[in-house]
Amino acid sequence: MNLERVMQVDRRIIYLFIAIGTILPILFVIGLPVSITPPVQMAFDRIENQLQKGDVVLISFDYGPSSAPENAPMADAFLRHCFSKGIKVVVIALYPLGGLSEAVNEVSKVAAEFPELEYGVDYVNLGYKDGAQAAMKKMAENIHEVFPTDMRGTPLSELPIMQNIRTYRDMKLVVSLATGIIGEWWANLVNAQFGIPVIVGPTAVSAPKYYAYLEAKQMAGLLGGLKGASEYERLVVEKYPKLAEVYATPGLYTATKGMDVQSIVHMIMIAFIVLGNIVYFTSRKKPRKAS
Amino acid sequence: MPSLGTWLAAFFTLCMLSFLYKDNPFFRLAESFFAGLSLGYYIGIVMNQTLKPNLVLPLIHDFGANWNLVFAAGLGVILYFRYIKRVAWVSRWALAVYVGYYVGVNMMQKLHGEVIPQIGDSMLSLSYSGVGTLWNLIMVVGVLSVLIYFYFSVEHKGLIGGISRIGIWFLMISFGAAFGYTVMGRISLLIGRMVFLVNEWAKPLIGSIT
Repeated sequence: MNLERVMQVDRRIIYLFIAIGTILPILFVIGLPVSITPPVQMAFDRIENQLQKGDVVLISFDYGPSSAPENAPMADAFLRHCFSKGIKVVVIALYPLGGLSEAVNEVSKVAAEFPELEYGVDYVNLGYKDGAQAAMKKMAENIHEVFPTDMRGTPLSELPIMQNIRTYRDMKLVVSLATGIIGEWWANLVNAQFGIPVIVGPTAVSAPKYYAYLEAKQMAGLLGGLKGASEYERLVVEKYPKLAEVYATPGLYTATKGMDVQSIVHMIMIAFIVLGNIVYFTSRKKPRKAS
Repeated sequence: MPSLGTWLAAFFTLCMLSFLYKDNPFFRLAESFFAGLSLGYYIGIVMNQTLKPNLVLPLIHDFGANWNLVFAAGLGVILYFRYIKRVAWVSRWALAVYVGYYVGVNMMQKLHGEVIPQIGDSMLSLSYSGVGTLWNLIMVVGVLSVLIYFYFSVEHKGLIGGISRIGIWFLMISFGAAFGYTVMGRISLLIGRMVFLVNEWAKPLIGSIT
């Protein structure tokens, strides 16, 4: 076999391998194990051990459909965790390109799994607000002025859940599911200036920079991309076995199922990287032809 | 049988993926649709979710209590004066207000929420107290060597050159971690589309045929 031909393999051959490696684990779920990392455990423990039934958590949908495969499983896991524990949830969306539609889809999907919960009493969706930074800052003074109504047009004063919630002080935790910079603002603006604990679930691309905030204790937990979401799913299912049925629903996309695909695709990529390096170093050892 | 919306989504997804084979008119069609839809969605959502509940309805329902919103609306309108040549300069007034506001917000935010906490977190104890001290030492060496790498007022040779080379190693390791995460992120997006194509389009389609 001519090794130099391997070096010049058509990139579309690699794409084909990746496509096969992606589709097969979707059709035939493998169920590879998921190990828990400290940042995700911290996030889970914050909600499980430090919040009580009836406490209020603000969940901000700071992502759109473009990163939904990573952020949506996080949102589902957080919502299921809060609803299972009896924690009240206030939902907002600060990401312009689809944050609201993601919030509507995920909240309605998860809320349907908990028919005992009542909209406006146990959870509420305040909708989208433009100018994220300004909205975050103003919410420290009065949330009712930033969001005069919920997304259905009901004034906040008429919603039981919002009766005693005026500022961040009336909530125990902020969870931001973020793509881009909005998640950072929760840490370096809201946590720094107003002190409320913040957990961020960023996309994998932006996860590394959040470790600096986590190390500096500006965040109470971190879910890095799909891996972080799959870890949180595992923790939630272990604590609330009732949710295992939900996560086992055929055709339901979960981060744990997604990680099967990730692992297979990573193995394919590692194989190509190793092969490429072997071929490269082997061809370097060959004596050059005399010119 | 998949719905019309699912068919459209599947068609546009396949159009986008077709770029992996080579550039083609289907990809360009889908790209243009995406750009147009995104802009239209953005305009629609700002109108319905921001301008209507925060400006239009308060002015209609209680003008006396909300008259000051007229100034905010005026500043917004003035921004568009830049498209009228004779009064384009007026748009700078609104821009000045916006820039001033966000500089003020950002300056405090960066100093208070980023610079000071991160500097504080970098000041770690090096007195021996177990394995943790080793990590503290690595952190301190990493921070100092990377800072020296980005210090360009002294030529990078001799001691400074050696330290900055250590800084390059730390940077390379962090870039490697970031790139690994980036790969995972991109694969996640591919998974999302493939899950849609398989579970919401192909499976119902095959089911309806068989």
